[in-house]
Amino acid sequence: MGRRRRRLAGAAGVGAGALPEAIAALSQSLPAGPSPEVFRRAKFDRPEAASALWRLLFHVLSPLGAVGASASLGPEARARWVKSALSSQGYQRPALARLPEDGSQGSRELLLALSWLLARGPLLERLLAQTRVRLGDEVPALECESLAWPGPGVEAEGPVDVRRVQWLLGKLRLRWRGLASGQREHSALLSKIHRYTYGCHGNHSLGHLSVTETEALRDPENGRQLLQALERENARLEAAVRWRACELVYWQWMDTVLGACPPEVPAAASQPTSLPRIPEHRAGELELVARELQGLQEALREAAEPRRAAWEARVGGQGQGPRGSFSRRAVQEAVQQQLAALQRSWEQDPGPARPLGPHRLVRSRDGTAAGQGLQAAEVIGMLRSQEACLEAVLHQLQGQCRQELARLAGALPALVWIPPPGR
Amino acid sequence: MSIVTVQLGQCGNQIGFEVFDALFSDSHCSQGFCSKKENEAYQASCKERFFSEEENGVPIARAVLVDMEPKVINQTLSKAAQSGRWKYGQHSCFCQKQGSGNNWAYGYSVHGPRHQESIMNLIQKEVEKCDSLSGFFIIMSMAGGTGSGLGAFITQNLQDEFSNSLRMNQIIWPYGTGEVIVQNYNSILTLSHLYRSSDALLVHENDAVHKICAKLMNIKQISFSDINQVLAHQLGSVFQPTYSAEGSSHYRRNPLGDLMENLVPHPEFKMLGIRNIPQMPENSLAYSAFTWAGLLKHLRQMLISNAKMEEGINWQVRPPLSGLPPLGRASVGAEPHFNTSIANLVILRGKEAHSADLEGFKEPALYTSWLKPVDAFSVWRTQRAFRRYEKSAALVSNSQFLVKPLDTIVGRAWNMFASKAYIHQYTKFGVEEEDFLDSFTLLEQIVASYCNL
Repeated sequence: MGRRRRRLAGAAGVGAGALPEAIAALSQSLPAGPSPEVFRRAKFDRPEAASALWRLLFHVLSPLGAVGASASLGPEARARWVKSALSSQGYQRPALARLPEDGSQGSRELLLALSWLLARGPLLERLLAQTRVRLGDEVPALECESLAWPGPGVEAEGPVDVRRVQWLLGKLRLRWRGLASGQREHSALLSKIHRYTYGCHGNHSLGHLSVTETEALRDPENGRQLLQALERENARLEAAVRWRACELVYWQWMDTVLGACPPEVPAAASQPTSLPRIPEHRAGELELVARELQGLQEALREAAEPRRAAWEARVGGQGQGPRGSFSRRAVQEAVQQQLAALQRSWEQDPGPARPLGPHRLVRSRDGTAAGQGLQAAEVIGMLRSQEACLEAVLHQLQGQCRQELARLAGALPALVWIPPPGR
Repeated sequence: MSIVTVQLGQCGNQIGFEVFDALFSDSHCSQGFCSKKENEAYQASCKERFFSEEENGVPIARAVLVDMEPKVINQTLSKAAQSGRWKYGQHSCFCQKQGSGNNWAYGYSVHGPRHQESIMNLIQKEVEKCDSLSGFFIIMSMAGGTGSGLGAFITQNLQDEFSNSLRMNQIIWPYGTGEVIVQNYNSILTLSHLYRSSDALLVHENDAVHKICAKLMNIKQISFSDINQVLAHQLGSVFQPTYSAEGSSHYRRNPLGDLMENLVPHPEFKMLGIRNIPQMPENSLAYSAFTWAGLLKHLRQMLISNAKMEEGINWQVRPPLSGLPPLGRASVGAEPHFNTSIANLVILRGKEAHSADLEGFKEPALYTSWLKPVDAFSVWRTQRAFRRYEKSAALVSNSQFLVKPLDTIVGRAWNMFASKAYIHQYTKFGVEEEDFLDSFTLLEQIVASYCNL
C-alpha cells in the first residue's frame, strides 16, 4: 500500500490541539461514526476499538448504505464480507486479510483501511449524499448503478435443481411486476397531492408542496422531526467542512500509525490470499466458457478472412491514381460514419447536459414553461430510446441462444426439441 | 389493492354474481365472532378489493360482464340490483344479439377480434376506477363455446395491455360426462392458450362440486345455482381479507400477488386446486363444533389422497418414507396415488386461528425434492369468522390434483383428433391442425412435468 505523504508546505500551525479537532470533525461527519476515543485506541491496536471499526467499514462499503443488511448478518459474516469488499476495491495489505473474523482484534489495521478509503476518493461526500434529508418528491435515479460485487448474501452450496432456479426467477419476475404496479400507484397518488397543494408553496417556481412538506405542515410533530433531521444534517455538513480544513494533520498522524505497525512479513507464500474461492465444479464451467470464447474468436476469424481477401482483391484491381485514392477516401469516410453510428447506438447517449442524481418532481401548470430542470417529456423520450436499444440487444441475444440451442439439439439425432411455452 | 373481474359467458356471469354476493354478504355479516373494530377493518378491506363506491352509497362490483347473448347478463344484472345491497355498474356490460353455438374457434377468431376494442374499453374504464390495480380475475368455462374461445382471446389481450398486472383465470372444468361433443377439443385449446397468457389457473371441477352439493349440503335437486354458490364459498374463503403477517393485525393488501408468489412462480406449474373444510348446510352451522386439530388433520389427508371433500377420504394413503419414491408415482392411473405437492397455501379463519398447529403440512415428504417446506408452504390467518363458520380452513394447492383429469381430457381429445372428427368446425374459422398439435404438445409436457415431481 502506498503511503500518502503530505508535504508540509511551510505551514507550522500543527499544534497539539489540531489533531483532536481533526479526529473529532471526522468522527462527527461519518455516518455511524465511532467516537474519537476509538481512533486513538486504534492507533495502539487496542482490541476494544475493533468492533466499532468493523461496523463502520461495513456501513461505508455497503453499496447503498445497507443499514438493514447489517442487522441480519452476524459479526463473522460481516467481517468476511468487509475483507472481500476491500480486496475487490484493490486493498492489498495481507495483515488485514489475516485478521480473525470474530471482531476481537485488528483495530489498527482497520483504521489503516478506513484511511485508505478516505484518501482514495470522495468518500465523505458520497456518504453525505446518501443520507441527505430529502425535501422534495424525487424521481428515482435515471442511471441504473450496477453493483460491482454481490452484496452480503448466501453462498451457493453444490449443484442446484434447475426447477428451483426457475422457481426463484419466476418469483423475482412476479415481484418486479408488483413493484411496477406499486410505482404506478405511487405516481398517481403523488400527482393528486401535487394537484391539491398547488399555490401553497412559498417558492413560486416550485408552486406546490411535496409529500414531506405536506406532512410537516399537517402534523406539527412531523415538522419538529423534520427540523431535527435538518439540524443533524447541518451539524454533519459543518463537521465535514471543518474536516476538510484540517485533514492535513490527520494524514500526518496516519503516517505515524503506519509507522507503528510491525514490519511486513515478506514470505507471503505461506499465507492464503483472500481471493474468492472458486468451488470445483465452477472451475469446470469457467473452462467451458473459455473454450466457447476461443471458438467464437475462431469463427469470427474464419468469417472475416475470406471477406477481407475478397475486398483486397477488389480494391487491388482499382489501382492507384486520383480516382483510386478518391474512392478509397470516400470508403474510409463511409466506414468512419458507420462506426460512429454503431458506437452511438451502443453507448447510451448522455443527451443534453443531463445531470446524474435525483431530481425533484415539480408539476407545472400548462403554459408556464419551466426554464430550469429537465422536462418530463425529454426524460420519457430518453428512457424510451434506451428501452428500444435494450430490447434490440435482448432480441439479438435471444436469437443467438435459440440458434445455439438448435445447433446443440441438432447434434443429437434422437433428441426431439420442444421449446417452452411462451410468446 | 383492487381486483377487476371479467365475467365471460353464461358460466362466468352466473358464477361471478354468486361470488360477489358471497363476498358482500360475508363482509356485512353480523356474526364475525370478533370485535367491532376488527369487523370494520375486514369490511373496508373487502370493499376496497372488490367494490367501488358510488354517490348514493350502493357499492358497485368491480366487474365487466361479457356474453354473446343478452339473456344471462340481464338476469345477472337484475338479480344484483334486486338485493339493494350492491349492484353492477350500469355500463359495465357487453353483449351481442346472437350466440356463438359452442364454437371455440368462432369465439377466438371472430368474436374476439371483432369486439376487442369495445370489451377492452370497458375493462380500461373499470381499471381507471381503481386507486391501485392488483390484477384480474377472469371467470370462464373451459369447454363451452363463447366463454372459452373468447376468454382465451381476452386473456391474451390483457397480457398485452396490462402486462404488469396479474391474471388469474377461474376455470370451470366440465363434467366428465358432459353434453357438448367437442368439449375436449375446446378444453385443450383453452388450456394451452391460457397457459401461455395467464399467470395462474384456478380450477373448479364441476364433478367435485356436484358431489359436495349432494353429500355434504344434502341438496336433492342440484341446480347450477347450488353449484355456483358452493364455488363462490370456496373462492370467498381464499380471497376475503387475512392478516398480512404472523402476529400482525393489519389486513393483507395484495392477496392475489402474495398467492401467486407463493404458489405459481414456475412457468410450467400453474394449475391450482381448492379444497375447503368444513362445508355444510347453513342450518347445521349452529349445531357443529370443530377443533383446529381435527379440521387440519382432515384437510391434510384430503391433500395427500387427492380427496375432493371431507367425506369418503382414503386414510390409507401415507406420505412416502424418505428416500423411497411414493407409491404409484410414475404412472398416472395407479390407485391409491400419493399426491405430491409443489406448494401449498392454507387459510385459516375463525376463533383462535393464531393457535392452530400446522406442522403436519410442513413435512418435506409432502413436497417435491427441489423445494423445501419453508419455501413451499405458507399460511394466512384471520380471527374473523367466514360466513358464520366458527372455524374454517381452505387450501389452495399447486400439486398433482389435476394430472389425472388433464390426462383423461388430452387422451380423449387425441382420440377424436386422430380421426379428424369435427375438425372442420375449427379450421373453418382459422384454428388449424397445427394449433391443435401445439396444444397437445404443451399439455403433454405439462402432464409429464407434474408426473415427474
